[in-house]
Amino acid sequence: MATLNLQNITKSFGTAQVLQGIDLAIKDKEFVVFVGPSGCGKSTLLRIVAGLELATSGQIVIDGTDVSALAPVDRGISMVFQSYALYPHLTVFENIAFPLRVQKLPETDVRAKVAKAAEILQLGEKLHLKPGQLSGGQRQRVAIGRSIVRNPKIFLFDEPLSNLDAALRGDMRVELSQLHRDLAATMIYVTHDQIEAMTMAHRIVVLNAGRVEQFGTPMELYHHPATRFVATFIGQPNMNLVPATVLGTDATGLSVELEGGLRLTLPVDAGRAKTGDRVEVGVRPENTALGDGLSMKVRVLERLGGVSITYCVTPSGARFCASLPGDAAIAEGQTIGLAINPADCHVFDANGRVMRRRMAPALAA
Amino acid sequence: MADITSTAAPAAAKASRKGLSEAWFAWALIAPALLFIGVIVAWPLVETVRLSFTDADLGGESWVGLANYEKMLSGAKFFEIVGRTFFWMVLSVGLKLVVGLIGATLLNAAIPGRALFRMMIMPPWVIPIAIGCIGWLWLYNGQFGFLSGMSQRLGLLDGPFEFLAYRNSAFYAAIVTDVWVGTPMVSLFFLAAMQGVNRDLYEAAWVDGAGRWYRFRRITIPQIMPVIVSMALLSAIWTFNSFEIIYILTQGGPRGGTTTMIIDTYKTAIGNYKFGEGAARAVAIVVILGVFSLLYLKVLDRVNKHYGVK
Repeated sequence: MATLNLQNITKSFGTAQVLQGIDLAIKDKEFVVFVGPSGCGKSTLLRIVAGLELATSGQIVIDGTDVSALAPVDRGISMVFQSYALYPHLTVFENIAFPLRVQKLPETDVRAKVAKAAEILQLGEKLHLKPGQLSGGQRQRVAIGRSIVRNPKIFLFDEPLSNLDAALRGDMRVELSQLHRDLAATMIYVTHDQIEAMTMAHRIVVLNAGRVEQFGTPMELYHHPATRFVATFIGQPNMNLVPATVLGTDATGLSVELEGGLRLTLPVDAGRAKTGDRVEVGVRPENTALGDGLSMKVRVLERLGGVSITYCVTPSGARFCASLPGDAAIAEGQTIGLAINPADCHVFDANGRVMRRRMAPALAA
Repeated sequence: MADITSTAAPAAAKASRKGLSEAWFAWALIAPALLFIGVIVAWPLVETVRLSFTDADLGGESWVGLANYEKMLSGAKFFEIVGRTFFWMVLSVGLKLVVGLIGATLLNAAIPGRALFRMMIMPPWVIPIAIGCIGWLWLYNGQFGFLSGMSQRLGLLDGPFEFLAYRNSAFYAAIVTDVWVGTPMVSLFFLAAMQGVNRDLYEAAWVDGAGRWYRFRRITIPQIMPVIVSMALLSAIWTFNSFEIIYILTQGGPRGGTTTMIIDTYKTAIGNYKFGEGAARAVAIVVILGVFSLLYLKVLDRVNKHYGVK
């Protein structure tokens, strides 16, 4: 059992408030990812959970116990750092054993625990080496090993894959997901990489400017982003936002005229929207197809094989990205038409809040 | 094929010309450095070695072979001086390292006014050694010196005590001054090394429950060990050759109580005009410091390997 509750956490550095009242309830054995752009406060929040920073106000409750005033070691957490934080003068064995040496455990226990961690992380052959002799991925595993031997209630990861190359990052994502299943522990993972967030998390916390924009499953965030920020942050390539004017609302949804003249009736809960309101219609690049609809000119074409990422410019000068089939018969400089399915569209009001879609795919729990 | 054979010979000639000009160019580039080393280092060194085989004095010189060395090594006084020099070096360097490490740790601690303290340790290093030593001469003075006066007021001394007038007290007084002059640099090097230690290492250790002393022992010390070793060996060489402090405070006295090898060399060569005998002593210093330098390179290489720098 290891639940984590953050209650109204705030943090200020001088006059700068970097966290503005964070409330989160993280369940036992959950893999939660904090994601957001640089400076959004995600690392600060993790460090507050770890006890490396003190919150300006608010409470951190682990398994029902308020740990806000406790030292890191007494919170039952362990942390993996972006820089790995391995001791260069110690062998892999001694690096993994470090927390156990601090606890002054008997040598036999130390050996047993390190051996077990090394087995889980396939480091058995490397125990006698120094960190400088290891590859980036192996170093990261040693850092994880040091976390494992402490048998913490909650594992904290601070951008652990940022220093690895793209291919290794992909492998390590799979390994970390597997590790989470094997250890069945609560894990909190900070990243700025939405792919890591989407692929590994049970639930994602999207942070922006010290606030939680949305806390939900990856599919919730993808299909039902709560705000314009989440909509454009999640998804690759980014969602297109087309300015539009409300023509009216009825039982079928919201009628709008997109910039460029295309009229659509979008199946969303229009709320208080009224005729003449300015809104933004969000269209994911992968929800477009060649056909009648928006007319635009192809600026840059990226052929990735399976798909063609098509960067276009509309007659009004706005940019628009479409993800079309790999063999789409188009060329740079060509004017194309893009068809949009109204059911795939997201609508954001002037404040960036979403009007909930009615026809989004059913979501996994 | 015809094309290849017809172009091969000129190409080779071109390469050889290019090779020759490259070699000359390389020599031209290092020539200023060679000239500098030749005039400033090599020539005086060779001249010293040559002098050591002569009986050079103000009246001229003639070849005496190994006589100067035989004379130097046959007297007990020389070995006493060598022993004193090593004692001087070990004690002074040891104190510089310990005080320097404590100072660096305090200067590295997150305490208010840290920047001010960092500036305050600089004067011993920044003030010209001669000026600093004259200050210490005043401090050690028995009649109107601060230390003697304060000790009497505190009841530690019954009457005026001339620190530089007795063999033992003069020796330790010179050590204190040498440590005063040498510690700031050691401290600053240690401080720079400490600031280079990745903060994540401390945070990782803190998360694992390591206390301050444990983190200092298991992270700080090993992480700055290459710098500690560097400073220990470099400081040893400088302290071995420390001349001004002793000469200004005691001129090697009283009764030779503070005469180290470098002072002995100076007194023999310049004080008594026995250039040949002085040169033999200088060569002895070169040999000892040469061994030290080799040791330094070897130890540093091992330490770097052990502590993961290489």
